Amino acid sequence: MDKTAYFNDLMARTEELFYHELSDCAAWKTEFIGVDFIQSKDITGNTPEEIIENCIKEIAAAGLIKSASYSIGGESILLYLKVHSCIHIPKEVRLQKGGIEPYNCPIVNMILDQLIEKLNFATTYVADMEVDETTGECTVKSAIFETAGKIGNVCDWSDECRLIDENNQWKTVSC
Amino acid sequence: MQDILDILTSRKSIRRYKPDPVPEEMIDKILEAARWAPTGENYQPWRFIVIQDQETRNQIGDLSKMGSGKRMTAWYCMGSMQKRFEKIKDPAKRAEVLRFMYSGEVSEFCKQAPVIIAVIGDLQIGSVDVPYDLCAATENILLEAHSLGLGACWVHGPVAATRDAIKFKEILNIPTGMNEYKVICYVAIGWPKEQRKHPRPKYALEDLVYWEKFGNKERP
Repeated sequence: MDKTAYFNDLMARTEELFYHELSDCAAWKTEFIGVDFIQSKDITGNTPEEIIENCIKEIAAAGLIKSASYSIGGESILLYLKVHSCIHIPKEVRLQKGGIEPYNCPIVNMILDQLIEKLNFATTYVADMEVDETTGECTVKSAIFETAGKIGNVCDWSDECRLIDENNQWKTVSC
Repeated sequence: MQDILDILTSRKSIRRYKPDPVPEEMIDKILEAARWAPTGENYQPWRFIVIQDQETRNQIGDLSKMGSGKRMTAWYCMGSMQKRFEKIKDPAKRAEVLRFMYSGEVSEFCKQAPVIIAVIGDLQIGSVDVPYDLCAATENILLEAHSLGLGACWVHGPVAATRDAIKFKEILNIPTGMNEYKVICYVAIGWPKEQRKHPRPKYALEDLVYWEKFGNKERP
């Protein structure tokens, strides 16, 4: 039996149900999905970069992803993340094929949780998630707010992301 | 029996309030209206927390500001907020409206509302469809407040995200156990400091209604 396929099917069905209850607001409520795993690990770090990298190492070591690349930009509010070969890709693809934009990334939930738990970040928000079935890559854009005072610091993330892509300002981490 | 269509069609969300207190008998009437909302199997899962303490309202206002602000900052950075307000032609005015939104100030108004009613549901009393019952009660609160000449606004933002909902519960000492209480929203209530009769544009019925089967716009 393929247990990964089985659990992804369970998650896809559950997320379909949840989407029907809450439509786009479903995404706002799934922030704890996945955090039990990362909270069971002793993630340490004094900076966002250290926390993010140590999370990715643990997640990759457990075989949930192969690796992840990240960059922080946009007034230090944008966390631009690319997740490579995630175990949950089939779940996201199944939703996408059903016409529901994937909205619940357990991997980014884990990282954001640790920014809050370990560095006392004020709040976070997952703003965008794109799934590419052919490359097996998910691209997730999140807002991370070290303090409440950072809320309202705006800039153009499409420019930010373009520059990161063009200048290859990525840090790739695996286990 | 009186037709309440005038009440329904003249209500709008009020976010600016005079500092004048809301009489206790009016609060009682609003709560009484909430109590008479439809509820599955008559379970009445709703519980209401009436908040008038300024410090508590400030805490809820700060949480609301952060909830809206984080989302709208991200939406602005993604470009979707700008599209939403394209209809404001004056660039300076549009910029100010956008700043008001992405700063989260748009959701801070409960600090000025003399009364807040938190609408929560007990998940442990054999209830069915608790969130729907709570929404029906919330609608009754809005309509009764409006019929009394008060202004009110249904606010979901600060409890929309799970982590924020826990903070909201902690502010009000609501049990946070997995199986205990659902928080659906709060309603800010006060004497309106803005025009109440200002119905926003609504879709025409012919755009919303089908007859007998989905998609059929021909009335038999």
